[in-house]
Amino acid sequence: MRSRKSIAVLLLLILPLGFSAVWRLQHQIDRQLDRAEEENDDVLLRSGKLVRVLSLEYGTFLADVYWTRAVQYFGLKRFRQAMSMDMLWPLLDLSTTLDPHLLVAYRFGCFFLAEPTPQGAGQPNLAVMFVQRGIAANPEYWRLYQDLGFLYYWELRDYQKASEAFLEGSRHPDALDWMKVMAAKIAGEGRSRETSMFLWRQIYESTKDDTIRKNAFNHVQLIKAESDMEQLDEILFEFEQEHTRLPDGFGELIRLGLLPGRPLDPAGYPYALSTLGKVEFDPKSPLAITTKKR
Amino acid sequence: MTRTGIVAWNTFREAVRDRVLYNLVFFALLMMATAVLVGQISIGIDSIVIVSLGLSAVSVIGLLMAVFIGVGLVYKEMDKRTLYALLAKPIRRWEFLLGKFAGLLLTLTVNTAAMAVGLFLTLFYVNRALHSADLVVLTAVYFILLKLAIIVALALLFSCFTTPFLSICFTAGIYVTGLFVKDIRSFSDITGNPALDRVAVWFSYLLPNFQNFDVMGAAAHGRAIPGAIVAQNTLYAAVYCAIVLAAAAVIFSRRNLK
Repeated sequence: MRSRKSIAVLLLLILPLGFSAVWRLQHQIDRQLDRAEEENDDVLLRSGKLVRVLSLEYGTFLADVYWTRAVQYFGLKRFRQAMSMDMLWPLLDLSTTLDPHLLVAYRFGCFFLAEPTPQGAGQPNLAVMFVQRGIAANPEYWRLYQDLGFLYYWELRDYQKASEAFLEGSRHPDALDWMKVMAAKIAGEGRSRETSMFLWRQIYESTKDDTIRKNAFNHVQLIKAESDMEQLDEILFEFEQEHTRLPDGFGELIRLGLLPGRPLDPAGYPYALSTLGKVEFDPKSPLAITTKKR
Repeated sequence: MTRTGIVAWNTFREAVRDRVLYNLVFFALLMMATAVLVGQISIGIDSIVIVSLGLSAVSVIGLLMAVFIGVGLVYKEMDKRTLYALLAKPIRRWEFLLGKFAGLLLTLTVNTAAMAVGLFLTLFYVNRALHSADLVVLTAVYFILLKLAIIVALALLFSCFTTPFLSICFTAGIYVTGLFVKDIRSFSDITGNPALDRVAVWFSYLLPNFQNFDVMGAAAHGRAIPGAIVAQNTLYAAVYCAIVLAAAAVIFSRRNLK
């Protein structure tokens, strides 16, 4: 009897202790493995031609596998806020060498490549080259011209080339009319808030993917906020001119009738006023977090 | 029913009895898992991956069946000595061979058709509808079947004069080489030797060109396949099978079965 009891007590002690040790150990092992995984991040076969030969007649399926790997890799690196995405290009290269008609890889892949780190790989020139390759393989698909124009406009700020890309795409019989309008507008004005807003809206409306939609939505909100801040700065400037001092806060501006109410950013968070008299995002606002990341 | 038809029907029944069609369960599970998972782990390729994986699976499963059953069609009958009882009946050797070919082709057709139904059901589940562009998938499935017909004919040819192991090696070798026919034709670009080029070109026309039947990419992206290609590929497969089966019949007829 006594020995049975002591075994039960022992088990009650050993089991929780043992499992808590296992739990701790597993966490340590996971950390080690994560580190090793990051160090071993590699694409063993980088030659698209070789992989195409080895894939026999199943290149299309293998392209899907590599594209999925690229998405996973990009997602993981973005989640970890990694400063380099060295493997992204080989994965995209392999996907589109195996299946040159994999439009989705060009459309999303170019954004993965172009966005500045840690949001993307920070390689806008490579992204442009990638889209140009996509256009060469799929000349009938006008949306790739939209992406090319966007990359020149947003990431490289080369407005002449952006305009040329939109114009080239607009010549396609299926292209929407706004491509021609964009070509003319960018050629005439260069960068403008209106154009940026329109282009991001196009991306928002034309994509089915949630991550890209969310990113485009964030940019649309940031552009709106940029406009709000500019207007608020003007009001502050007028106040300072009149009173030769900065206001105590937005409350004073509301009391004087300069503002109808507490100004909110497009995400619904109140704008803050810094001690230097600059309008800023509320630190809790998702837009503030996005701005910090960029 | 003709004598060839009886052999074909019994070959089909034997394959069903051997639980060959069990692979359909694997295919169904693979399609179900893909349909559920792909949307979670990738972007924008839901239906592309269903089509490309589905067609790849149809092709690989069909190839395995065609090669492994094909090489045993004649050898098994000889090994079990059932061939002697059969040939003692009023049936010509070429009729027996043709029956075996037709029987395995029937098995593959039933199997491929069932997998195609599974593939379309998965596509319907993922897209919540079927579009006219999805019809290209049917053409791709048909092309896989044509390719399998040539493989069966080749496997049957080799099984007439060699062991199953060597038959597998020869059939698989010709299949892989047949996927690189275009590269063989451009051999002279590498060597720069016109004589070698001529040999390579002649050799490339002797081999079955399996690249003709590779339309998986087009099917995955919903690109139309011209009717002329369908007709030409059908004719190509029929002519090639006829040549190989005629060679097999000649070899098998002359073979000393004592």
